[in-house]
Amino acid sequence: MIQNLTFLPILLPMLAGVFLLMPPFGTNKKSRRFASVLLSAVTFLASLALLLKVQADGIQVYAIGDWSAPFGIVLVADPLSTLLVCLTALLGFVCALYASAGDDEKGSFFYPLLHFLILGVNGAFLTGDAFNLFVFFEVLLIASYSLLMHGGDKRNTRAALHYVILNLVGSAVFLIALAILYGVLGTLNMADMAQKVALLQGDDIYLAKIGGLLLLVVFALKGALLPLHLWLPNTYATAMPVVAALFAIMTKVGVYSMMRVYTLIFGEEAGELTHMAQSWLWWLALATIAMGAVGVLASKDLRKLVANLVIVSVGTLVALVAVQTIEASSAAIYYLVHSTLVTAALFLLADLIGRQRGETSDRITAGPPVSQPRLLGVCFLIAGIAVIGMPPLSGFIGKVWLLKATLNLEYTMVFWPLYLLASLAILLGVSKAGSTVFWNHKTKVSETLEQKRVHPSQLVALIILISGAPLMAIFAGPLSEYAIGAATQLHDFNNIKVILSGGQ
Amino acid sequence: MELLYASCVGLLVTCGVFLILRSRTFTVVLGLTMLSYAVNLFLFSSGRLSLNKAAVLGYSSEYADPLPQALVLTAIVIGFAMTAFVVILAIRGQTDLGSDHVDGHTPNKKSTQNKKVKV
Amino acid sequence: MTLLWIPLLSLLGSLISSMTGKLTRNQSTGLTMLLPVTALLMTINLAPAVFSGDVIRETISWIPLLGIDIAFRLDGLALLFVFMILGIGILVIFYARYYLSSNDSMPKLYAYLLLFMTAMLGIVMSNNVIQLWFFWELTSISSFLLISYWWQKPEARKGAIMALTVTGGGGLALLAGLLLLGDIVGSYNLDIILASREIIQAHAWYEVTLILVLLGAFTKSAQFPFHFWLPHAMAAPTPVSAYLHSATMVKAGIFLLARFYPALAGTDMWFILVSLTGLTTLLFGAYVALFKHDLKGLLAYSTISHLGLITLLFGLDTKLAAVAAIFHIINHATFKASLFMATGIIDHETGTRDMRKLNGMWRFMPYTATLAMVAAAAMAGVPLLNGFLSKEMFFAETLHQQLLGSMSWLIPVFATIAGALAVAYSARFIHDVFFNGDPIGLPKQPSEPPRYMRVPIEILVALCLLVGIFPSFIIDDILTAASFAVLGGYVPEFEVALWHGFNLPLLMSAIAVGGGLLLYTQRRYLFQFQASLPSLSAKKGFDDSIYAMTKWCQRKINDIENGSLQRYLMLIFLVVLLFAGGPLFEMSQVGGQKQLTPIDVHNAMGAALLMVGAISTVIWYRKRVVSLLMISVVGLMVSVAFTRFSAPDLALTQLTVEVVTIVLLMLALFFLPQHTPRESSSMRVVRDVGISVTLGVVVASICYALITRPLESISDFFIANAKTGGGGTNVVNVILVDFRGFDTLGEICVLGIAALGIYKLLINLPLFIPAKDSEGRPWAKERYPILLASISQSLLPLALMVSFYIFLRGHNLPGGGFIAGLVTAIAFILQYIAHGSNWISERLTINYRKIIASGIAIALFTGVGSWFFGKTFMTTWYDYFDIPFIGEIELASALVFDLGVYITVVGATLMILASLGQLTTNASKKEVKN
Repeated sequence: MIQNLTFLPILLPMLAGVFLLMPPFGTNKKSRRFASVLLSAVTFLASLALLLKVQADGIQVYAIGDWSAPFGIVLVADPLSTLLVCLTALLGFVCALYASAGDDEKGSFFYPLLHFLILGVNGAFLTGDAFNLFVFFEVLLIASYSLLMHGGDKRNTRAALHYVILNLVGSAVFLIALAILYGVLGTLNMADMAQKVALLQGDDIYLAKIGGLLLLVVFALKGALLPLHLWLPNTYATAMPVVAALFAIMTKVGVYSMMRVYTLIFGEEAGELTHMAQSWLWWLALATIAMGAVGVLASKDLRKLVANLVIVSVGTLVALVAVQTIEASSAAIYYLVHSTLVTAALFLLADLIGRQRGETSDRITAGPPVSQPRLLGVCFLIAGIAVIGMPPLSGFIGKVWLLKATLNLEYTMVFWPLYLLASLAILLGVSKAGSTVFWNHKTKVSETLEQKRVHPSQLVALIILISGAPLMAIFAGPLSEYAIGAATQLHDFNNIKVILSGGQ
Repeated sequence: MELLYASCVGLLVTCGVFLILRSRTFTVVLGLTMLSYAVNLFLFSSGRLSLNKAAVLGYSSEYADPLPQALVLTAIVIGFAMTAFVVILAIRGQTDLGSDHVDGHTPNKKSTQNKKVKV
Repeated sequence: MTLLWIPLLSLLGSLISSMTGKLTRNQSTGLTMLLPVTALLMTINLAPAVFSGDVIRETISWIPLLGIDIAFRLDGLALLFVFMILGIGILVIFYARYYLSSNDSMPKLYAYLLLFMTAMLGIVMSNNVIQLWFFWELTSISSFLLISYWWQKPEARKGAIMALTVTGGGGLALLAGLLLLGDIVGSYNLDIILASREIIQAHAWYEVTLILVLLGAFTKSAQFPFHFWLPHAMAAPTPVSAYLHSATMVKAGIFLLARFYPALAGTDMWFILVSLTGLTTLLFGAYVALFKHDLKGLLAYSTISHLGLITLLFGLDTKLAAVAAIFHIINHATFKASLFMATGIIDHETGTRDMRKLNGMWRFMPYTATLAMVAAAAMAGVPLLNGFLSKEMFFAETLHQQLLGSMSWLIPVFATIAGALAVAYSARFIHDVFFNGDPIGLPKQPSEPPRYMRVPIEILVALCLLVGIFPSFIIDDILTAASFAVLGGYVPEFEVALWHGFNLPLLMSAIAVGGGLLLYTQRRYLFQFQASLPSLSAKKGFDDSIYAMTKWCQRKINDIENGSLQRYLMLIFLVVLLFAGGPLFEMSQVGGQKQLTPIDVHNAMGAALLMVGAISTVIWYRKRVVSLLMISVVGLMVSVAFTRFSAPDLALTQLTVEVVTIVLLMLALFFLPQHTPRESSSMRVVRDVGISVTLGVVVASICYALITRPLESISDFFIANAKTGGGGTNVVNVILVDFRGFDTLGEICVLGIAALGIYKLLINLPLFIPAKDSEGRPWAKERYPILLASISQSLLPLALMVSFYIFLRGHNLPGGGFIAGLVTAIAFILQYIAHGSNWISERLTINYRKIIASGIAIALFTGVGSWFFGKTFMTTWYDYFDIPFIGEIELASALVFDLGVYITVVGATLMILASLGQLTTNASKKEVKN
């Protein structure tokens, strides 16, 4: 079993998905909920075990079907990918728990789809094969399409229609990019690709460049990078909040793929094509940050607000990816985990607040007071401080770190003002939203509006996410060590040899 | 031959993209189908073209590149699944939104003005 | 660990006091005061060491890799501030116990206050600049909570947000500045930074750094033009104002100036920026204070003006000025705190703070009045009071600077004017409130406050007097120590004394007092003049700008995210065009070296057909049925192309998929309009044609470039190992089920999930059914043609046979689980078409969900099976068996895997079409009924 540990984060969600379709889970609600939460917890534990193993014995390469790279498909578990797998599994567990309060019954197959989504995301994180990456992208996409329609209304259908069509085009572009890369490099294993790219001659270089840039289109669409971000606000704001919280990881899949492709394949050692996408990434990222900040100020309801916060975080991450230094990448890794947790928490929070404000829902206007002001208020305060990036929570460490990492760049004088102004916009947007929602009451709490209270499992889920902020700050020391280790691995070109030699 | 093949792919892309840019779901679906044909042919051709060299051992001396074929097969299946989903979604849109326009409503002056007012 | 305990205690205090909800007010107050008092005692205990000139340090490692540590440091300056923060803090806590009404939550206020206290202590004791910023921002947060304590009041909410935005923005600037500073010096450690003045001031970033740091300081200490948040922070309960605006919040900005004085000061830039800002603020604050009718408003602006005075002193390039600044920090804290408290009492007793109503309070509360008057006199700078001494020093220093070169004499003049204004508003505070006739329409009948409510004021006023009369005796040690820290180890000769003999400063004081009184008596002209000016409210300005900005953002967002899919798609295509097209131009030539294969007639015809099909699909795209037929032609030709170019498996797959897709689209058309209206403008059409054609050309040339170049790929490996390693001769199939079986696994997952999703979409979908087709013809009544029914029925077994055969041969010849699955599915679909889904569902009751699940499960477990042979996932196994009469047959685990694929495909395809078919039959039943 232990030598197959690398495979568990993919196997378990798939098993879960299948089992939950079979009797008794297929029919019995209670058992389905229980099994689903349990299985997602197991997935998380397995991922954690994998993480520890990687920490102990270094990068793990798992050749599926015993066909070693570059011929077969290999899974590559390095500190970065395992960290993200853990994050995904945690998020999956939390959302399963949260949904078990009733959201899961607002449509069919919630849990199987949830596990299939985790399957897709984990697969995308772990696989070392370009085409296999495509397959897992499709897995997570098709799962997300269905989840998006979960308990949906009209607005939902429209958003889903846009989301699906855009992503279908994206998949087509992905295939073309892969075709070009295979047609030039004659291989699909990413490590092997990296090796072959360095040896390219003549016009093949430009073909490979086209392939690489088309991949950027795909990842930018998935990661919501300007100008391909337009689908995100509506999609996330109309999706059921628990689904949106789950989606918090999906933009990160795009960012992660950028990290892999543009530091591994088109990174330091890519000969003619070294850092070919860097300036694109950088400027698009900056534009994205600005756009997100504007969106934050423009948002009229909490979920839109959070969706725009997601956009800002994506921009920040991509900017760091574009810097292409170990320090920047490590900052990105820390910030990635932080932003995923906190945005997910905020989505759930927006849901709970909305439920307690009746008709007003989560709109940022004067309305009836929430029935649990202290609980929700404190949670919002914590999450807000974290997402604004103020002390004492994880956000400020991320902020300090990324500013530090972007200090001695050519364009620091562009990035810093932009980023700081964006932070100010977020500060203003979030604090205004908070004080309006919690303090600005139009009507006294009416008896007719029946007192919805937070369901225990919802509360636990929320607390797990929110506690991430203080914990990430307290344990910032070890975490920063881990992040820097992971970043060093990411930038270490020798890993390619390791992968191709099957992990020895 | 290669030229002919390439131009076929190009034409399919053109038609596909044009249809995708139309405003009605069904047409967009047609466009996506067309585009997926083009993409499959493109992906297939990344193994280069070869006549009568099916990659079945013992049937010829040298073989066409089997890998892209396998990839295309996967792509076709996935494409089928996606097309099916989007078709159904289109129906769902028609029923939910009462229009088969991709934005759920036919854009006209009035609605845009409303938007402006709502700002 | 004593140092660490000082902030820690007040943090604990905050926690404790937040839990004292159940206790009585006295108990809660006592508990809350307990820990700060302890902290104060500890500090006193540390004081002698600091006075003797050494600096106490403590460090705990936190994030070493970022150079962020928990580092505390107690020098003279820190000590002075710790005394003020704790001392006045304790008095405020005590005072608040009597101030708060019974329906205000006392634990909440205390918790926030002590949290704030912690933050302040953290700032002044930090030995790591990032940590300093950490606490700096904490003060912003906790002051937000304090100011919005009465959150029901809109002005409290607005004031809080204003303060948070301004100070928060300054905080961001400060962070940037500190990071630059750290980068210049190479460490965030304060000791090192303070020690490396030369490096910093020689560095190219010095100016930027200075400006950023000053931005932080000025926003916090409410310097012009960032002053406007402070008056609105007065919405807070008076104890909070007494704390924030005398000794702490605003003083944090001043502290920052003092703290970085050794490292950043000494350059012209520093002096110009700091002194001029200070001077402006000094005059502006003093002037506006004169016109405020609200007591707290008056105090707020006088605070601003005094902060300006201190800032100005730091800006005057003499050592003594810095000393004077520190001295005035102490004095201002004492008299301003007591004044706020007195105001609180008046407010508390009379129910108003409006000086137009408050008159003649002397008669009602003589004792409080006396205290207030003494404090006010100190604020005015009347002799025998501490305010006088520091103001004397201030005047003296204004005479010694050479800031404005030949125009330097301006500064003492302005200083005197400011002094006069200070006297004037202090006089107004005293005269208007305590004398000046009778009160007008007070909400409450005033009287002396509870005895103990005055105690804090008494203590502070006593301090004012003591310092004023015996300065050297009280103040020297701490002042020297603080100056020592600020001036970086050098303290100039100074003597704080009541009497320096007749000199220019004394004269200036005299003028100030005289002029002030004159100003006050003649104030009505001033008031008239002021009234003639257009009134501008900072709050309104702030709100309006925020509102305008929000609106602007919303407009922009609505313009960009206009919810039009066509725009989003166009963007994608344009980006693709950009990325794919750009490098094409860099290529020397599109075509490669590989020699081309000749065009034969079949291919030409095939291509022609394909093109015709594609084009006519576009041409007739409004007639949907027609375009559907046309596109099916294209699909057909694609599969032909696959056969032609030696990909039989692909051809089969494409063909079967094509059939299913077309059936699906046909069914879909039943629900959708059969015609597409003509709506895109001709401009739009031209644009789209442009995009699509260019895109087509680009893709075509890329494709051409690819296939005309030689390629050596990893595929030879597959051909070499297909038989030996995978046990099959159909390499493509072996790749699918073995080499890259993992892809296939993912692929069937996609198919399965899609089926589930579609079921999810269609289940209990409210139906929209067109009774007639677009031509207005009703749909055919007899829906199941007999002929088709009988044929399809007889075809079914045959089809199943065929699919079984295709499945079995798959591993060695074109075929395999997927194609077989589709053939089977098609056979069943035929039944559906022929008989309708009810007929079927009566005869075979299938749960597609389970089928799909079991299909995936089989494939999955085949893979897991290899674990039991100690192999990795999906390691295949195969062997040949010789069975009598049948002959040698091959059994491969891949075959089982393929079975999983087969089952999933059948299940999924049927689920998709069945659930849609279900709809149609329901629909048409409905239609028959009505």
